[in-house]
Amino acid sequence: MRFATVPALRAWLDKLVQRADLVAPRDVDGRVLYRPVSSSDEVLLDYQRPELSAKEAVLPSTEVILHVEQRGQEVALEEVLPDRQQVVFGIRPCDAHGMAVIDALFVGQDPADRAYQHHRERTVLVGMACQRMWEGCFCTLVGGAPDDASHLDVLLRQVQDGYAVEAVTEKGEAILKGLTTRKRQGDPPPPVVDAEPVPVTPAEQWRPLFEDRLWARHGERCLSCRICTYVCPACRCFDVTDRVVEVRPGVTRIERIRVWDACTSTNYRRAAGGHNPRPTRSARLRNRFYCKFCYYPEDFGPLGCVGCGRCIVACPVGIDITEVMRDVAGQ
Amino acid sequence: MAINESLTQRLRETARQLLENGEVTCVIGYEASPRGVARPAFIYDSTETDRLIWDATCVHNLVTYLHDKKKPPRRGEAPPHVAVVVKPCDSRALNVLLAERQIERERVFVIGLACEGLQDGAGEPLARCARCDERVPVLHDVLLGEPPQVTAVEDDFGDLAAVEGLDPAGRLSFWLREFDRCIRCYACRQVCPGCYCTTCMFERDDGLWVDIGIELPAKHLFHLGRAFHLAGRCVECGECERVCPMGLPLSLLNRCLAREVEALFGHRAGCAEALSPLLFELGEEGSPI
Repeated sequence: MRFATVPALRAWLDKLVQRADLVAPRDVDGRVLYRPVSSSDEVLLDYQRPELSAKEAVLPSTEVILHVEQRGQEVALEEVLPDRQQVVFGIRPCDAHGMAVIDALFVGQDPADRAYQHHRERTVLVGMACQRMWEGCFCTLVGGAPDDASHLDVLLRQVQDGYAVEAVTEKGEAILKGLTTRKRQGDPPPPVVDAEPVPVTPAEQWRPLFEDRLWARHGERCLSCRICTYVCPACRCFDVTDRVVEVRPGVTRIERIRVWDACTSTNYRRAAGGHNPRPTRSARLRNRFYCKFCYYPEDFGPLGCVGCGRCIVACPVGIDITEVMRDVAGQ
Repeated sequence: MAINESLTQRLRETARQLLENGEVTCVIGYEASPRGVARPAFIYDSTETDRLIWDATCVHNLVTYLHDKKKPPRRGEAPPHVAVVVKPCDSRALNVLLAERQIERERVFVIGLACEGLQDGAGEPLARCARCDERVPVLHDVLLGEPPQVTAVEDDFGDLAAVEGLDPAGRLSFWLREFDRCIRCYACRQVCPGCYCTTCMFERDDGLWVDIGIELPAKHLFHLGRAFHLAGRCVECGECERVCPMGLPLSLLNRCLAREVEALFGHRAGCAEALSPLLFELGEEGSPI
């Protein structure tokens, strides 16, 4: 295997940060989050599952996607997207899997989502395998694994005194130039996989359950907040609005911003005139699960869940996606 | 977490009788989640009352769910009669909602629980419970359990002192750093019994002061605005802080305002069925109000 020491890894990150935007797991007031870093000192190497997914690197929670400016008689539209390369270091395989899920809609459909596609193209994913599964994790039951390299450019695995380094793509091989590695005998130990079995019911078998009482049972306690969708690596809904910004005294332009949205929130589906076809907590929560296991796979291919378990841990009222999956499977 | 067997039995029996007699159509209480902690439960059938539990993880303020029970289940019917399980802190939220004419007293059967204080996952008392000396709900139709002899740690507002010791610039930077972590998931607002506006002013499509951006100025305004809207109304149940996925110390804001309101008006939210004086009282010239 190709082996890198911790000092070698940190030296490489310090070189990378000179020429690329570096996002990595960082301690933010006591919680681990993927955040921009300016030095390898800030990068955590030993961490569990960051509390938010890494999707923010390619689908920012708020992003200016267009400037609209009047220039004489013309109205100028200008896209404003960063050009620098971005490296997401230490991304967990489930979070990279989440990006692959979003790709199916945002890149796989015509036309592609330009801003998202742009971020995906400028981004290199340097993954860090999990050595074990964390609270609520069930990635192995929805097509992933703690050391799944499929959606990464580089996979790192912790070994004695350093990391096993594997370039998965050409993009990955290119980014590794500058990292001092050497050959070492042996293979990294496999991760400990101990997920509880969770049944994944095929999309077509969800349809007859749409009016089932189970949705009221789970949904009545839902707060209609946005935690589950915002921590989710695969939830991708957004809202767009324009705002007026003063660029110089007396001169304004319009910024068009794209902002995360959540199907669990009360007003998500409200239409002009006030009608809301998902008026209850249960109807909204049901949609979240149908999107993940029925609509999204039917329309775009992949499941909308990567089994990261964050929504289970973060839900303040104990809504548990694995319990819902068991109920749907009739267990 | 060990279930309190005797209280759980009495709770189940009370719920069963209420449902069997037809006094209520739903009992809102707690059940054990598959992962072993309490979560809100809605019991409609007297044969299902054995789902109910009472233990030291029953943190949720269930009064918030009464807002969903204001409307009839079907058009043309009357709104339902429901029973709700309350701790002393939760019961004060009932008084706030009664004073604000949000719920009708006769439609709510209040199952009060004598409370020994709640614990976190490690078995330690919650901070808010350690300084709480309320053992019996201020409002109840039935009281389960004996008021325990527990001495509360006197509230010296030590948690606030650290922030209040900072100069204004230091305080601002403390709060901006905290608000910066907010992801605008609105869990704090959604869980709050006192936050029931049909359309939150911070989530309007045509908001004048704040747009939908998940950015610091909007988050700053949202949290300060919410705190002011709850001044004299917040019962310090601590739910906003508990549900926050990013660990914002929201109770510091609420406790600060609660302390000011009590000092200026002698008002503690929800101890009686009374409106917040901040909305309706004008001070004489020269008065501190």
